Amino acid sequence: MFRIPIAERPQWQKRAEEFGFEFHTMHGEKYWDESAYYQFTLEQIEKGIEAPTEDIHQMCLAVVDKVIKDDELMRRFCLPEAQWDFIRQSWLNGDPSLYSRLDFAYSGKGDAKLYENNADTPTSVYETGFWQWLWLQDNVDAGVLLPHSDQFNCLQEKLVNRFKEIKYLTPDRVLHFSCCKDTPEDRGTVQYLEDCANEAEIETDFVYIDDIGRDAEGSFTDTKDQVISSMFKLYPWEFMFQEAFSSQLGKNNIRWLEPPWKSLLSNKALLPMLWKMFPNHPNLLPAFFEDELHLATGIDSLVKKPIFSREGSNISFVGKDTHIEASSGPYGEEGFIYQATYMLPKFGNNYTLIGSWLVDDQAAGISIREDSNPITQDMSRYLPHVIV
Amino acid sequence: MKRSRYIDLDKMRKAKPKHPLFRPLTLAVASITLAACGQNEEEVKIVSSVEDCTANTTLTTEQCEVAYKQAVAEAVRTGPRYTSQRQCEEDFGYDQCVSPRSSSTFMPMFTGFMIGNLLSSNRGYGYNPVYQYRNSNSSSRNSLMTADGSIIGRAGQRSYKVSPNELKPKPRVTRTVSRGGFGAVASAKSSWGGGKSKGWGG
Repeated sequence: MFRIPIAERPQWQKRAEEFGFEFHTMHGEKYWDESAYYQFTLEQIEKGIEAPTEDIHQMCLAVVDKVIKDDELMRRFCLPEAQWDFIRQSWLNGDPSLYSRLDFAYSGKGDAKLYENNADTPTSVYETGFWQWLWLQDNVDAGVLLPHSDQFNCLQEKLVNRFKEIKYLTPDRVLHFSCCKDTPEDRGTVQYLEDCANEAEIETDFVYIDDIGRDAEGSFTDTKDQVISSMFKLYPWEFMFQEAFSSQLGKNNIRWLEPPWKSLLSNKALLPMLWKMFPNHPNLLPAFFEDELHLATGIDSLVKKPIFSREGSNISFVGKDTHIEASSGPYGEEGFIYQATYMLPKFGNNYTLIGSWLVDDQAAGISIREDSNPITQDMSRYLPHVIV
Repeated sequence: MKRSRYIDLDKMRKAKPKHPLFRPLTLAVASITLAACGQNEEEVKIVSSVEDCTANTTLTTEQCEVAYKQAVAEAVRTGPRYTSQRQCEEDFGYDQCVSPRSSSTFMPMFTGFMIGNLLSSNRGYGYNPVYQYRNSNSSSRNSLMTADGSIIGRAGQRSYKVSPNELKPKPRVTRTVSRGGFGAVASAKSSWGGGKSKGWGG
């Protein structure tokens, strides 16, 4: 695994405009960065990332199956008890999942270590499935990269195929896509997924999360008063569970993407549960609930993570690495878990994180984020990769 | 190959807006546009009764009864709804509106239902009801339309060319009593950090 500088495509910003990629630069800083790329061998991809990704997903499903049957464990996940039935029913029904992203620390050598599972609202799917694919295509066409250069990235193909399966499983429903207002990144992400659904010939519509309404019977509606029967929401379940309309969840006939059972996987309580059920697994880091820290004997540095948090917010270090500056943010009131410190590999001055995508239960590609800080956050740069 | 074999770049371009036509439902008929002419249009006949269906299509009486019942069910589920009889009659004509039992709304009676070859395949298609629009202030007066307000042509023809979409079930329409029940946690958290967060995904 190498980091290799490369010339930017001339006028790539024009290309971005052509394809509607609007958030490549945010708050005056580079988010999409094609001044370099990462190079992997096929073995690093297949053995180092692809196989562990699918293994861990199966382990995660085993955690859901165990936790869902056990009130004591459910309590650990800090989700409102009023929603437990809704979550359980979606698991028992086998409600289909669309996608997830596992975040790994991996240097090309040794075992990739799981940081967390973005199972509910993963983003950077457009940059991965389409935009970095186009970057490779353009550079091969221009003769800058060798014709046999490949990429671990069948994300778009797999998303379209998964939408075809979902159409088959829930026919004749208009799929409403939804996200919050005033978030160009989320709007772009949702538009991309809507495009993929259209490619699978699913009829779609859009409504902002903030604009969802309800009728007298408790059905949810869009701004045209159409009843919502199937919905993709790029909005965390743990937020929805606390909000005014949550009392209708499970009572109206809606198929959700992601399904409610994924609120157990996007939850940091997953990490100590995985470590309990699969101790010493080579791709897992030791992880502990706050009241079980006595089990962390012999570990001299821990990372403290909120049960609910997005984009690397509110992460701090405990033990010998307390000098590393904590990240700030609005999360943490539900409590924390602790995970053994395992620093991201460094390439030059950059700490590099690998996001490994799953479509349903199949590994589907990777995305790479870089930061000068050891904690990857929402403004960390996105870099493309190749397999040679 | 470890990447998507092919992506249709033409489909990925975003130069023109994707959904230029806002298709209004039920009440807002005035801004309806004619359904776009496409290659995969389907020829359908509009029949007004089971007898008309039996006499003028290739369907048997039994099949026509099934089609009629389906059209009735679809009309009840998705038909245009009005809060007053007067508003409904303004759009669909005197004595053309009824108030379904256990409901305070008014709906127009459908003037016929669509029969087409595509319907025999039964892949998500249905015998949708059609309505004759009679609002004297509208240029769409005397057009036939489906439950969501899509115009399929002038009334009185024996057959019509329609997009296969018109043969699909329409979304159910209801009355929204409140909005804004989701999104509060995000707006509370977004005040943190001066709204610098890019979004609520991760």
